Amino acid sequence: MSDRRLPRLLQSPAVILLLIWMLIPLGMTLYFSFIRYVLNSLRRPEWTKPALSNWRGFGNYEFVLENKDFLLAIQNSLFIVCSILFLTVILGVLIAVLINKAFPGRGIVRVLLISPFFVMPAVNAVLWINMILDPVLGLQGLAVAGINDLISSLQNAPVVGWFFSLWPQFEPISFRATQTSAIAVIMMVTWQWTPFAVLIFMTSLQSEDQQQKEAAILDGAGAWSQFRFLTLPHLARPIAIVVMIQAIFHLSLYAEIEIVSRGNGNKNLPYLIGEFANNNIGAASATGIFAVILANIVAIFLLRMIGKTLME
Amino acid sequence: MAIVAQSSKYGRVSRATLAWVVGLLFFFPIFWMVLTSFKTDADAVKPEYLLFFQPTLENYLNMTENYDYWRFARNSVITAVFATIFALAVGIPCAYAMAFNPSRATKDVLMWMLSTKMLPAAAVLYPMTFLTKSMGLFDTHFLIIVVLMLINLPIVIWMLFTYFKEIPKEIIEAGQMDGVNTWGEIREILIPLAWGGIASTALLCFIFCWNEAYWTVRLTTTEAATLSKLIEGNRAPEGLFFGRLSAVSTAAVGPIVVLGWFCQKQLVQGLTFGAVK
Amino acid sequence: MGRIQLEKVSKSFGDVEVIPPLDLTIEDGEFAVFVGPSGCGKSTLLRLIAGLEDTTSGKVLIDDADVTQVSPSKRGLSMVFQTYALYPHMTVRKNIAFPMRMAGLSEDEQEKRIMAAAESLNLTDYLDRKPGQLSGGQRQRVAIGRAIVRDPKAFLFDEPLSNLDAALRVGMRIEITEMHARMKTTMIYVTHDQVEAMTMADKIVVLQAGVIEQVGSPLELYSAPKNLFVAGFIGSPKMNFIEGDEASKHNAKTVGIRPEHIDVVESGGAWTGTVGVAEHLGSDTFFHVHDTGLAETLTVRALGNVALNHGDTISLSPRVNEMHRFDDQGLRIA
Repeated sequence: MSDRRLPRLLQSPAVILLLIWMLIPLGMTLYFSFIRYVLNSLRRPEWTKPALSNWRGFGNYEFVLENKDFLLAIQNSLFIVCSILFLTVILGVLIAVLINKAFPGRGIVRVLLISPFFVMPAVNAVLWINMILDPVLGLQGLAVAGINDLISSLQNAPVVGWFFSLWPQFEPISFRATQTSAIAVIMMVTWQWTPFAVLIFMTSLQSEDQQQKEAAILDGAGAWSQFRFLTLPHLARPIAIVVMIQAIFHLSLYAEIEIVSRGNGNKNLPYLIGEFANNNIGAASATGIFAVILANIVAIFLLRMIGKTLME
Repeated sequence: MAIVAQSSKYGRVSRATLAWVVGLLFFFPIFWMVLTSFKTDADAVKPEYLLFFQPTLENYLNMTENYDYWRFARNSVITAVFATIFALAVGIPCAYAMAFNPSRATKDVLMWMLSTKMLPAAAVLYPMTFLTKSMGLFDTHFLIIVVLMLINLPIVIWMLFTYFKEIPKEIIEAGQMDGVNTWGEIREILIPLAWGGIASTALLCFIFCWNEAYWTVRLTTTEAATLSKLIEGNRAPEGLFFGRLSAVSTAAVGPIVVLGWFCQKQLVQGLTFGAVK
Repeated sequence: MGRIQLEKVSKSFGDVEVIPPLDLTIEDGEFAVFVGPSGCGKSTLLRLIAGLEDTTSGKVLIDDADVTQVSPSKRGLSMVFQTYALYPHMTVRKNIAFPMRMAGLSEDEQEKRIMAAAESLNLTDYLDRKPGQLSGGQRQRVAIGRAIVRDPKAFLFDEPLSNLDAALRVGMRIEITEMHARMKTTMIYVTHDQVEAMTMADKIVVLQAGVIEQVGSPLELYSAPKNLFVAGFIGSPKMNFIEGDEASKHNAKTVGIRPEHIDVVESGGAWTGTVGVAEHLGSDTFFHVHDTGLAETLTVRALGNVALNHGDTISLSPRVNEMHRFDDQGLRIA
């Protein structure tokens, strides 16, 4: 039926666009990952153009696997994503339960809470790493300096001076350093995405069956039992959704890492690729293929888990 | 009523207080940014002016001079608006077809679309740069619009699909019996009925476009650079210029945060893909 | 005109054949009712006629024109849905006007027809309301109004009354029947309620598992059911079926007798049993009789009030000439 096929045809623009968007760059990445291809090489100028004659087989993959940054980047990627997921879900559930019942000014608190979600990642990172976490000029630096000043002035005080002279001077933490920059990234992204989790959990809590809860109270269930046996199972699905959507966004986390540390030690996969891509396109592409594989593993896992519930 | 009776007055007060504290804590960084934007660069790093200082608009007045703010803002508006329009133009027919004429493949197609969203952008960065440069599209509005549309298309289609599925199939069928053609169905029935859902989808798409910070940074230099690029480019003043950086950051996120406040409820409903009622 | 023919029409969903090839003709002006238990394919059949489902094979003809490949909007039929399917974003007036607007009728003509429809359906006061502000019965009228104004070749009703409460249902049933008598347009009406079928139809099509069991007028189905299924489905309370010796006596595998064809006698009836439940309705009394040795329960309908209660012994006299006989295949023996 001509009139029936039209609706199905309507899907094709979106499908075709996404196919092109996915396949062409991915195909090129795949191709580049098997050839020697660098942007600048005085010694081997023929490598600066992509060509089949520069075929390297799995050479780029071996190169990447042997690179010590690679394993670190994978670890870092997983560490950052998992930490963010863990923190946002825990905080999200706690805060959602906290503000689920009406209290004065609930609407305003909601607005305050949701705001970080709308802040652009670039601003988020600049704001946190400079104005809040900077060890000298940020709030952290100012706070630590203030405490140290207070302590040293107390050390000179009569009577209690001896007590405070035993106190150490506090050292501000530099969040641009290798080990701590991942923490800074986790902090700022958690700040940004916890509101999202809160809102989704809250929406879900509103639909919780109140009669069921009342029945549980009559059955003698305390607040903890209610939470454990009624609320938490009720939140299973929204938690799955929060995990999935965040995984989609955080696997390709980039701006925050770029701004916080410029990759000094704290690289995730996207960052490492970007670094390779400054010159060694072959290695960047091979890393990209690894990233795609990693993303696919996560995607298959998540979509299997969530796919069914979403369709019904 | 039993529940209300359970919680004591003390419990309720401490609960409300805690909720307020949490809310203020989460808002604090934004508050701090806005506050700092009214300080001069010199005052911004002085502990004695932490809370009490001589407020100044200087940072905002000099935004054009310091950062060329309006050019980037204009690019952000243009790219986000058109990307959203195009995403809806492609997404609405697609979601309509999926919701009302599903085939066996529909579910898989939807899942596949979502999975494209999980592909790490970095993996295809170099080919994209290479292609767009060789096609002369690099750093053009057109390119950024297309890219923003494509990366948001899966989410747009998912959200629309969720909203459309709430419309009873019979209403569309009644339309068919009443003599409308496919375009009529979309224009006369679907769009008016799903207006709220379409609007919140558009909003969310707009917000994601506005905040996008990978492609907009990597595929532009000056011509089509958006606010993300502007902030990213001025990312590390190491304590210099906190005042002016706060001002431009406030100007970059302000419109979106306010927009988000007004539509938070609708946005959440859409983002849950209808799986949370 | 509105003569609808199905020629070897079949429908499969995937590998499941829900309607094996069937032939059916509905004459112009006829009120045809598709009846059967839920899942029998009656709604699917209606949707095939409407064009909302594609036929897997076979042809649909309207007034001898093959419309199998024609889209629903161009078949010239109107449909009233079970859920009414009103456009919630439009007022009643706009809902009714919608098909005419799509057909490109002039504003004046639209207004004239809206007013006529609203008047006949008692909707005049509600024209500017939205469907959400109407009761179920009113919504149903709007749906009918929307169907009428198109002046269709045939009306298709898909269980239109099943969402209404009992009292409204009876009223709407009569209204639709009267509408048909007045308009004399072909109507096809799908229901699972055999009472609706019996009271409204010129022609009843009994379906089971996608197969037409019998086509006929209500009284034909009542007095000469072709098989056990039709016999059991048509008539309320259900026909009693008796197997075994009693059936053999009449040279049949099964004999059926309707509750109203068994008389309650003081004594000396052919059958005796014990009253299980007695339903005294005033006008009639229904007895559910046990221990007859014929069947688990025999349902008996007596006119007026008969003063027998639970546990009483009852004597029954079947009207042998009203018995229906069925063979091993469950088919009627003439």
